[in-house]
Amino acid sequence: MSTIYERLSTVIIEGNEEKVPKLVQKGLDEGLVPKDILDKGLIVGMNEVGARFKRGDMFVPEVLMSAKSMQAGLEVLRPHLIASGAKLIGKIVMGTVKGDLHDICKNLVGMMCEGAGFELIDLGFNVEPEKFVEAIKEYQPDIVGMSALLTTTMRAMGYTIKAIEEAGLRDKVKIMVGGAPVDAEFAERIGADGYGSNAPSGAELAKRLVGAA
Amino acid sequence: MRTNYRVNSGVRFQMLSKDQLQELFEGVLHVLEYTGLDVHHDEARDILKKAGAWVDGLRVRIPSYLIKRSLEMAPRSFTVFARDGNPKHDIHIGPGRAHFGPGPTCPNFIDVETLERRPYVKDDVPIVAKMVDALPNIDFCESLGTVSDVHHELGATYEFAGMFPNTSKPIVAWSYSWDDSADIHKIAVAEAGGQEAFEKRPNYIHYCEPLSPLVSTFEAMDKLVFAARHRVPLIFTPCPLAGGTGPVTAAGMIIQAAAESWMGLTVAQAIQPGLPFIMGGVLSVLDMNSMILAYGAPELSLMMAGITELAHYVGLPVWQTGGCTDSKTLDEQAAIEGSLSCFFSALTAGDLCHDVGYTESAMTGSVFQLAMMDEAIGYSRRITRGIEVNEDTLAVDVIRNVGPNGHYLYEKHTHRYYKTEFWYPNLCDRRNFEEWSEMGRMTMRDRVVARVQDILASHQPSPIKPETEKVIREVLEAAEDRVKEEA
Ligand code: B12
Repeated sequence: MSTIYERLSTVIIEGNEEKVPKLVQKGLDEGLVPKDILDKGLIVGMNEVGARFKRGDMFVPEVLMSAKSMQAGLEVLRPHLIASGAKLIGKIVMGTVKGDLHDICKNLVGMMCEGAGFELIDLGFNVEPEKFVEAIKEYQPDIVGMSALLTTTMRAMGYTIKAIEEAGLRDKVKIMVGGAPVDAEFAERIGADGYGSNAPSGAELAKRLVGAA
Repeated sequence: MRTNYRVNSGVRFQMLSKDQLQELFEGVLHVLEYTGLDVHHDEARDILKKAGAWVDGLRVRIPSYLIKRSLEMAPRSFTVFARDGNPKHDIHIGPGRAHFGPGPTCPNFIDVETLERRPYVKDDVPIVAKMVDALPNIDFCESLGTVSDVHHELGATYEFAGMFPNTSKPIVAWSYSWDDSADIHKIAVAEAGGQEAFEKRPNYIHYCEPLSPLVSTFEAMDKLVFAARHRVPLIFTPCPLAGGTGPVTAAGMIIQAAAESWMGLTVAQAIQPGLPFIMGGVLSVLDMNSMILAYGAPELSLMMAGITELAHYVGLPVWQTGGCTDSKTLDEQAAIEGSLSCFFSALTAGDLCHDVGYTESAMTGSVFQLAMMDEAIGYSRRITRGIEVNEDTLAVDVIRNVGPNGHYLYEKHTHRYYKTEFWYPNLCDRRNFEEWSEMGRMTMRDRVVARVQDILASHQPSPIKPETEKVIREVLEAAEDRVKEEA
């Protein structure tokens, strides 16, 4: 008999949105430690998903189904994690910056971060700097993720960071940026904390930024 | 005299049957009538409502009779004229005619001296335009880049100002907004000799992009309204990613893209009945491994062929795509992907095939890719021109004259045809091994680079009128003032 942890990782890899929360509940009913369910079950599964994706053995839609089932599991697990005093991995506020309407990029990064266990608040596209600031106040995220697909809207990332600084919130959040024309050098220049070149590396980066990787 | 005789003068290509095309057509009508699109432009929504569309908040649904009427109003055939009156540079859009040109707005460019990838700058614009002007199989001009070294709102204005004097082939212009659309129009109209003269002989086409899925953005609509009011031929082209911002299936992609494009058609025809309208868009797959929109995918060619057939079925010209690649450099991948999509596009007779010269999935423009594709297009065009069959080409008499053991080299028949029956490459090497060795064993890549540098060193495009030069200076100054005022 495989353990609940093993079965959890398997259904995460399968992307089974129905079985994951049921198994999480079963684990809780059997008295397993919530943090163990997360670390030894869900996360182990998602790590394997990441590895398979990198090898080309899994495709984006499958990865996203796994991420979605991870979130379904977390839904059940989250109150117990909080009650047990375990630290949640974190919250991300994500949006495509002002003037920019490209959105599939940010959706993919967001979903991959959800797969890594983050809670995601999606602000959509064409997001004004002030809206980022408000969202930080309202949701108190650990990370702000910004996407820009145009050389002309990249500057809006800088403005947004400035607005966050001016609101006195810069040290409350880590900021990560990405998008086709963005690179690490640009990210550094505007004072972001990190840059990701694609969705999986975005999720890895997010983990690193909260000290979870 | 032949009677009851059918001629296929070129290679015939048809993928979808009438039944299938009708089914796709009904699908588009259904989407527009029952789902509709969000239109983020108050005036456009008013125009649509007056025309008979149903408006509910942002959402606009269009009854099928209105779409059919709009399709009826848009011409299948029209001409875009060379600014200098050179008839060889006119583009006659119509059945059976495929034209080719570069794409717009890549952030990067392959430097023509160093061959390195770097940001696209203002000085690259004349280079691209000159290459377009000189290459025999490139018919229209786009700049392959976003000018990065001017004020960020003026990229399109500087781009047009740089292209216009450097090619007399018609330009497909894009812009950010109403203001820079007006800048561009001023330049084109100056050369044409006024708005009325421009309307008779339009010398550029305007290009706008709605957002997939199912959104007409303010910018796209505003530019469309500008173009329609000024009777500028118009391209309205979405860019859905199959499996991401569009359905995963080719048929679904074609339906969604057509619906997005025809929202623009309906507004355009309501403003300016009979406005030349070219439907889009760029259809390809969101690669489920690398997460890029693949510009070198076979599905791009396939979906583009499908939407071309739908466009032609309903009597519209289409904005085709080809000659592009996901490769980062001028290599075998770039040649395979670019050539096959050029050939496939030529087979469909898609009216304006753009993105020739795109590399790295639209991130980097390359005149080297453009020059290599010029060769692929020439090659394709020889094939699509087909086999001519008549008394003279059948050559039965010539065969009798020559008889067994003779040869054809002295025959008048040979002399009459060898230049037109055969295609002669500019870049592909056909010399024998010794000659090729003596000439320095140049690879395709070497020859492409040499041809580009050769053209740039020698080609002289026909000049614009001195008045237009003055207008360009004025437009640029006024544009600079405008952004200063805003700041
Ligand atoms: C699809 C597309 C569109 C669609 C967008 C539809 C939509 N719903 O998103 C439409 C047609 C609307 C569009 C419009 C325009 N576009 Co566009 N578009 C593209 C295209 C072809 C693909 C983008 C895409 O979705 N890729 C797939 C996604 C998954 O990849 P990605 O975006 O790169 O994101 C990945 C990474 O970058 C990273 N990432 C992204 N964000 C973040 C954030 C964080 C925090 C992290 C860690 C990582 C990360 O992870 C993602 C997943 O792996 C690109 C070409 C290209 N190669 O990018 C041009 C492109 C970006 N567009 C371009 C342009 C110019 C425009 C327009 C200005 C064109 C015009 N004149 O109308 C308008 C601008 C509209 C606006 N104001 O935003 C240029 C940009 C050039 C430049 N100089 O900046 C490009 C490069 C194409 C080109 N050569 O013209 N476009």
